[in-house]
Amino acid sequence: MASREVIQYEGWPSKVFKWFSVVFIAFYMVWTVLPLFVMFMSSFKDLLEAFQIPPVGDWAGVTVFFNFTPTTKHYYELFANLGFSTYLFNSLVAAGGSAVVSVVLGSMCAYSLSRIEFRGKSDLFFWIISTRMAPVVAVLVPLYWIFRELNLVGTLPGLILAYTTFNLPFAIWILKGFFDNVPYAIEEAQMVDGATRLQALRAILPLVAPGIGAFIVLCILFAWNDYLFAAIIGSGGAKTLPAATRELVQPQNIQWGQIMAAGVVTALPMMFLGLIIRKYLVTGLTMGAVKE
Amino acid sequence: MSNSSTTIDRQKGFAGGAELFRVRQIPDSVESKPVSHVAADPPSVNPAASKAYYFWLMMPAIIVLAFISIYPFFWMIYMSLHDVDIGKVEWNNFENFTKLASDTRFLMGWWLLIQYSVMCLTLQLIIGVFLAVALNGSRWEKVLVTTLLMPMMVAPLVAGMVWYFLYNGTFGWYHWLFQSLGILGAKSILASADTAMLGLVLVDVWQWTPLITLITLAGLKRVPQDQLEANMVDGASPLRNFVSVTLPNLYPVLLIAIMLRFMDNFRFIDSILVLTGGGPGNATKILPVYLFEVSFKFFKLGRGAAIALILLIVTIILGMLLVRIFDRQQPKKA
Repeated sequence: MASREVIQYEGWPSKVFKWFSVVFIAFYMVWTVLPLFVMFMSSFKDLLEAFQIPPVGDWAGVTVFFNFTPTTKHYYELFANLGFSTYLFNSLVAAGGSAVVSVVLGSMCAYSLSRIEFRGKSDLFFWIISTRMAPVVAVLVPLYWIFRELNLVGTLPGLILAYTTFNLPFAIWILKGFFDNVPYAIEEAQMVDGATRLQALRAILPLVAPGIGAFIVLCILFAWNDYLFAAIIGSGGAKTLPAATRELVQPQNIQWGQIMAAGVVTALPMMFLGLIIRKYLVTGLTMGAVKE
Repeated sequence: MSNSSTTIDRQKGFAGGAELFRVRQIPDSVESKPVSHVAADPPSVNPAASKAYYFWLMMPAIIVLAFISIYPFFWMIYMSLHDVDIGKVEWNNFENFTKLASDTRFLMGWWLLIQYSVMCLTLQLIIGVFLAVALNGSRWEKVLVTTLLMPMMVAPLVAGMVWYFLYNGTFGWYHWLFQSLGILGAKSILASADTAMLGLVLVDVWQWTPLITLITLAGLKRVPQDQLEANMVDGASPLRNFVSVTLPNLYPVLLIAIMLRFMDNFRFIDSILVLTGGGPGNATKILPVYLFEVSFKFFKLGRGAAIALILLIVTIILGMLLVRIFDRQQPKKA
């Protein structure tokens, strides 16, 4: 490549830029990791140790942070006495349930939308996407009223349905893009060979399966991380991890150790899942508008 | 459904071009223009398909969506026109709306929401784009980008909790840092009305700048390298190159990023509820927070529905803009 040689001609501004960017990146990485690191470490600290900070301006005193004997008592407390195993279960069922419902119904709908044209299709599409973009609090007001009439408040099915309000439009929107990329000719060839329509659909499923899998995971992530629906619709019988974490904040007595432990329990699985679907993450988070 | 399968069967039977042409004319076909079967164009559209089959496949999702979006929408309108309380619903002559005009917290809520969004977006764009440019093509790109992903995966509520801890006036590490650097006095950043908003913005910047970086990185990969090289041969400086080649190419992607983040600032208030709950005073009571308070703290659901309706309409208008931008993007990709 000839370009290599061209790029060799660097003046001092680019050198300064390079050094500055290295420093900036280093600084930014520390800033990114630090809160998570503090959370992780504090969850293993006794409360008094977690509260220890050096006097103002005493930079050498930072080592205080590492001065502790690790304890797992906060985790033990969470699961043994505070019922977090139930909340973990609720989170799993609510997030998983809504993800599966959304992606199954969503892929059926997206597939059809991708295969036919009809009048008003773009309107239908806009309705679907605007459902997804509606502010959660605004949706919550009427939904809470309806769910109360139907006795769905405080139940897991209610929470699953509530999460479907944002997961289903997301699934339809993004999976349509996936089905659009599968040529109709494949199904057609199957049908010429005597397959029924459903069999033809099954033939193209392997092509979209990785995407569908990734978007199930993303739907789980969105639902798992939600707090507002969990706090209002799930209040009472279907408390999820974020809602339960919030309740550890009591006016007189904030259980920081347990809060940090609950934070780790909530965040760690999702970071792991995020890494698994790394390839689809940008597509998913930008509603399919940007592909890597 | 049965109708369509016979169409397919018949198509299989006929081989000749003229015969095929006649089959295409049956009223069941979606598009009446004669389309060659081999070069179906566009490929996603199946002219001879039965509408009914796809219609039924579509229905479950549409019904569920209607139940959780259209039905509540009409309820919202209904509620916004009434005094809604537990066990009583009374018509109140548009009072929910007329009262809003003189509700300072409602009007302030909009102003604060705009302030919050603009501050978040400006910081995120500057840092995010710079970070992407700095990271692009670096040896450590993969590892560093993976590290950047972590905050985005954290539940906003948990993020809020952690930052609440870090900001704490007596034992928070960031508070200690601010104090040691001489930026802040003894008061926590969240405790004073002047700085509380900045405290919230920092949390949002921490969590979502990486998204801008990722989007920008994806955009940078599509900047035409030959143009950059040609310019460089002609003696353009890297900065000049960035401004006149890279940035215009990034523009569409950045527009998407801006719209998405803007809408998310409307959507999510989890971390704000934890960090300040709208305080001190009303300094950070952006509109969604105020809406939450009215509806679920004071349980004025009618009034809440009126605010929610207005917020929703504004969001939908923003959404329309976003979809238009998406549509303009689409042909470029193909």
